[in-house]
Amino acid sequence: MELSQIFTAAFVVTWLAAALGLAGPVLLASLGEIFGERSGVLNIGIEGTMLLGALASFLVTFYTGSPWLGLTGALATGVLVALLLAWMYVTVRASQVVVGIVFNTLALGLASYGYRLAMGGQTQVQKIPMFGPVYLPGLSDLPALGPILFEHSVMFYLTAALVLAAGYLLYRTRFGLNLRAVGENPRAADTAGISVVRMRYAGVLFSGATAGMAGAYLVLAQLGIFRDNIIAGRGFIALAIVIFGRWNPYLAAAAAVIFGIADALQLSLQIFQLDLPAQLLLSLPYLLTILAMSGLLGRSLSPTALMTPYTKD
Amino acid sequence: MAKSHWIERRLQPTDSLLATATVTLAAIVLALLLGGLLMLPFTPHPGQAYWAIVENAFGSLRGLGFTLVKATPLILIALGTIVAWRTSFFYLGFEGTLLLGAAATVWVALRAAPQEGLAGLPGWIFFPLVIGAAFAAGGLWAGAVGFLRSRFGGNEVLVSLMTNYVAILLVNYLVSGPLRAPGDLPQTERIPETTLLPFFIPDTRAHAGFLLALLAALLVWLFLRRTPLGYELIATGFSERAARYGGIPTSQRLVLAAFLAGGLGALAGLVEVLGVQFRLMDGIAQGTGFVGVVVALLGKLNPLGSVVAAILYAGMGVGSEVLQRRAGLPSSVIFIVQSLIVLLILAGDLLRYYRFTWPFRTGRLTATARPRE
Repeated sequence: MELSQIFTAAFVVTWLAAALGLAGPVLLASLGEIFGERSGVLNIGIEGTMLLGALASFLVTFYTGSPWLGLTGALATGVLVALLLAWMYVTVRASQVVVGIVFNTLALGLASYGYRLAMGGQTQVQKIPMFGPVYLPGLSDLPALGPILFEHSVMFYLTAALVLAAGYLLYRTRFGLNLRAVGENPRAADTAGISVVRMRYAGVLFSGATAGMAGAYLVLAQLGIFRDNIIAGRGFIALAIVIFGRWNPYLAAAAAVIFGIADALQLSLQIFQLDLPAQLLLSLPYLLTILAMSGLLGRSLSPTALMTPYTKD
Repeated sequence: MAKSHWIERRLQPTDSLLATATVTLAAIVLALLLGGLLMLPFTPHPGQAYWAIVENAFGSLRGLGFTLVKATPLILIALGTIVAWRTSFFYLGFEGTLLLGAAATVWVALRAAPQEGLAGLPGWIFFPLVIGAAFAAGGLWAGAVGFLRSRFGGNEVLVSLMTNYVAILLVNYLVSGPLRAPGDLPQTERIPETTLLPFFIPDTRAHAGFLLALLAALLVWLFLRRTPLGYELIATGFSERAARYGGIPTSQRLVLAAFLAGGLGALAGLVEVLGVQFRLMDGIAQGTGFVGVVVALLGKLNPLGSVVAAILYAGMGVGSEVLQRRAGLPSSVIFIVQSLIVLLILAGDLLRYYRFTWPFRTGRLTATARPRE
């Protein structure tokens, strides 16, 4: 099949709309992770946090019938879980890599157990009410742009708003400045009277909050069901987006869209039976992240104190 | 401040064996108690459930066989973790090396089918060959990450996490493209009977891969403890700068550690293919690469400790799966207990900063351990 036959206008519109949809949940998770990493904490536990958020949103929505309450439940779960993680990272000063990895296996067990406990009697897959696409009068009717940008769920617009909020908070407020200072040079920040502990707790709590909501995004706006393997590595992809987006919310949004474009393109290419390994396209974002992170492209821009626990004396 | 306390803060955290043992034991007991609470909605007798798990995993030859099969890849990945992490190379790409090793193994094993290039190769040539191929595949895969870290100063934690996905996609490509067997499922042909690892306990599934893992554990222990090169790796792990000052080429040692870790991790894929799955397909790693890291930590990054930890870990898993099938007790409870043990041991580290005191006794010098305010 000729390439020009594939890349019709209709195809491109569907493709880009799908790309933005796929980018949403991982971008949401990466927004909070940026705050965690900027404060000096690498929270690998967001994979597990997303899973527990997904479960919470599913169960709350199942029992109350309200996706909004489900989203709130996921947010609360994410924050609660992050409080535990922050205690391990900041107060106990355990290895961030170890705690994150072990927490992810714990979350897998907890989610599987929780679902079984709450839904034990049900044998078939239960569907729940979801966030539908939002219709924006005028905007949604625009040719091309309408279907691409303005036919998404409320979670998508919430994520887009949070990108702006995160950018403002990180670069335009005293809090953001202090947070970044703690991640770059905790001792200097401490000397200047900034509480390293408080900033790092805040960073981890942010990452937990958005990871929990990202789990809810998947359940409430895209899948409508819960499975143990629902996250399928999206937490780790969010970590990649943070790096690829150079710890900057706006660039992270761009990175997430690039990931989404590659992801959506391979889905379409499979339909067209094109003789190009889809896996090559799919692996591009990871390869680019490796390249960005390897130091090949110049000095790594990661926060200097990333992964280093801070001791006062 | 003359107030007496039950608990006092130490100036320095204690390193005594007694304290470590107490904390570890307390963590295990607490995790088991919490797991018991989680069992209550499903069974009124958590104690019996725990006992049944132990019996299923270790009480019969058949159960023991399953336990050893499950423990084998965990031991190998734990060994890889030990070599890498002892060198302060925090590699997390073992899902990937497992898959790479499995892919290389299947590729070589399929060449040994009738009418193929390696057909009729005797076992004493074939097995070293396939082990070498898998080790090299995983070693180069992880060694590349080591090279990036030592040459360009990249972050190996994040880079190695990303390589897992590249490996998953690579296997996905192989089983749906070049190596795909005719049929509906994306998987390769079954590998020839002559390439399978023999079972070494009669009437069980325990295959010779477990013996390979034991041998590897012994070799890693000897390597790290008894050879100059192993010493240099550990010295690099303690302080790269000091080791370099002492004349150790730390960049080369980092790459070496990465290579060995990847190779060991790849052997986990080899034993899974030659002993359990008999073909390559999607989803054969399923988190084993991360559980192996946890096992290594439980074994305190010691090869022999990790063998014990892997067998216990695998046994708990096997026993709880039997219990889930027979009594409907979710095996996730044991999964939770296993992770909790590690987290509680880590959290217990905080306790090393404190000591108990008897507040009613006076006259002794209590000022020695006053907290620094």
